[in-house]
Amino acid sequence: MDSKLQSIVLNWIPNHSKVVDFGCGDGNLLRILTDQKSVIGYGVENDPEKINACIINGVSVIQQDIDDGIQNYKGMGFDIAVMASSIQCLRKPRDAMKNILKVANKCVITLPNFGNWELRLGILNGKMPSSAQLPAKWYETKNLHLCTIADFEELCRDESFVIKKKVYLNRRGSSSLLANTFPNLFAAQAVYLIG
Amino acid sequence: MKTVSEKISFGDSLTLESGKVLSGFELMTETYGKLNSDKTNAVLVCHAFSGNHHAAGISDGETKSGWWDEIIGDGKTIDTTKFFVVSLNNIGGCHGSSGPTTIAAESGQPYGANFPEVSVSDWVEAQKLLADHLGINCWEMVAGGSLGGMQALQWAISYPEKIKKAAIIAASSKISTQNIALNEVAREIIKKDEHFHNGDYLSKGELPKNGLKAARMLGHITYLSESNMSKRFGRKLQDPENKMDADVNYEVENYLQYKGEQFSKTFDANSYILMTKAMDSFDPAKDFDNDLVKCLQNIQAKLLIASFDSDWLFPKEYGLDIQMSAIKAGINSAYIELDGDYGHDSFLFYSDQYAAALKNFLNSNG
Repeated sequence: MDSKLQSIVLNWIPNHSKVVDFGCGDGNLLRILTDQKSVIGYGVENDPEKINACIINGVSVIQQDIDDGIQNYKGMGFDIAVMASSIQCLRKPRDAMKNILKVANKCVITLPNFGNWELRLGILNGKMPSSAQLPAKWYETKNLHLCTIADFEELCRDESFVIKKKVYLNRRGSSSLLANTFPNLFAAQAVYLIG
Repeated sequence: MKTVSEKISFGDSLTLESGKVLSGFELMTETYGKLNSDKTNAVLVCHAFSGNHHAAGISDGETKSGWWDEIIGDGKTIDTTKFFVVSLNNIGGCHGSSGPTTIAAESGQPYGANFPEVSVSDWVEAQKLLADHLGINCWEMVAGGSLGGMQALQWAISYPEKIKKAAIIAASSKISTQNIALNEVAREIIKKDEHFHNGDYLSKGELPKNGLKAARMLGHITYLSESNMSKRFGRKLQDPENKMDADVNYEVENYLQYKGEQFSKTFDANSYILMTKAMDSFDPAKDFDNDLVKCLQNIQAKLLIASFDSDWLFPKEYGLDIQMSAIKAGINSAYIELDGDYGHDSFLFYSDQYAAALKNFLNSNG
């Protein structure tokens, strides 16, 4: 996670909260949250290599498939859930969103914007596009359900997921006038606080 | 690897969970590596049902390497150049610690069936006295598989401030109905051996070897996985030259015959019964209104809970159940599911993934 994105996520997560990070990767975000914000954090991850990285990081982690696992975390007293660049990897992102909001009242979602001009150009060239946010080749990507900012926000409207805060970041990972004015075209990533 | 074997006598009387009192007891111990001057590098390893103090290496008078030799040693997963590893035979056992084969002071006869029932928390109390004896105030880690994992969990619950990490491997917070049922069949087989004499076989100079052997054969099947047995033995016929028994047809039969026979020569039948009873009764949540979350709430240690995919005796759901309760309780706990070829016994053997998890956990900070 790049630094701007990380500082936004850190800002939105209250001190001492109980956090679950779906698709926590190597556990770095949880490590930082634990050290800087005294959260009680748990990661859910299915990749054994990443689980080991979490163990090295001293982070609490559960090896589990996210699609199947989210609903198991209801009633566990989580204040906030995080899903960073993972939603597009899920088999059923809409159901996952619904379930996440049952696990915690609030969630932080970050997603790569498939509507970004760089990716549109790739498509115009007749090739599956790639970018810094979406580097994998089509035959090895874990992304199943890529979407644009417009798609995601439409889903939120349709499902009454309330977007409380949002930040758009350009390809260099910073806020810019262009990315804020025409996010679907110029933002490379979006981060939402939903609740 | 510096190895010290020592039988340690404790004058302390130990009040057991059953209310009975052991006035003084002995623990057979083995230690590996060196305790540092701050006494902060100590790791306690707890043996499973039929294990003992001999966890690693081969020292004087021993013919086989220890039960966790693939994991404990110089440069190994639990690195004895860095950590001081303590292993012991639990009370009620039959490898040197006070148990049914010990001579009772009052009668001058072996305790036999009169040795009091022991529990996992009794073992932890005895281990605590051992820690005091060694001057260890806080374990860097307590680790074990199966019944040993239960001891690690009990340590974290009983002495929150005296343990930094607990590795709970192929274990559960209580065993299933099916496990109790299997244990009962094993006990029944032993008790129905004509030489058992209600547990007083030692004073009669007899041994219920056949019962013990058959019980072990049953147990052994549950420790392996179906796929492992298929891979290892398939339906291969036993070579006629090396048959344990003339009636044996298949290799798997011969293997079980051999394992059962060996076991019946080295294990005590009353210990078998005591150990299985301790396993059956383990349920730390029972002191917390049967609420595992409440039971885990005071834990300060970090937990590592590991399950093996081929383990059908303690399937992964048991480990996950502890993990989910740990999350509810808000304590630091990692859960990992490992590939293991050997069923329940996978916890005994090295694999890259398993060793990495355990090593990283032991060496992690935070």
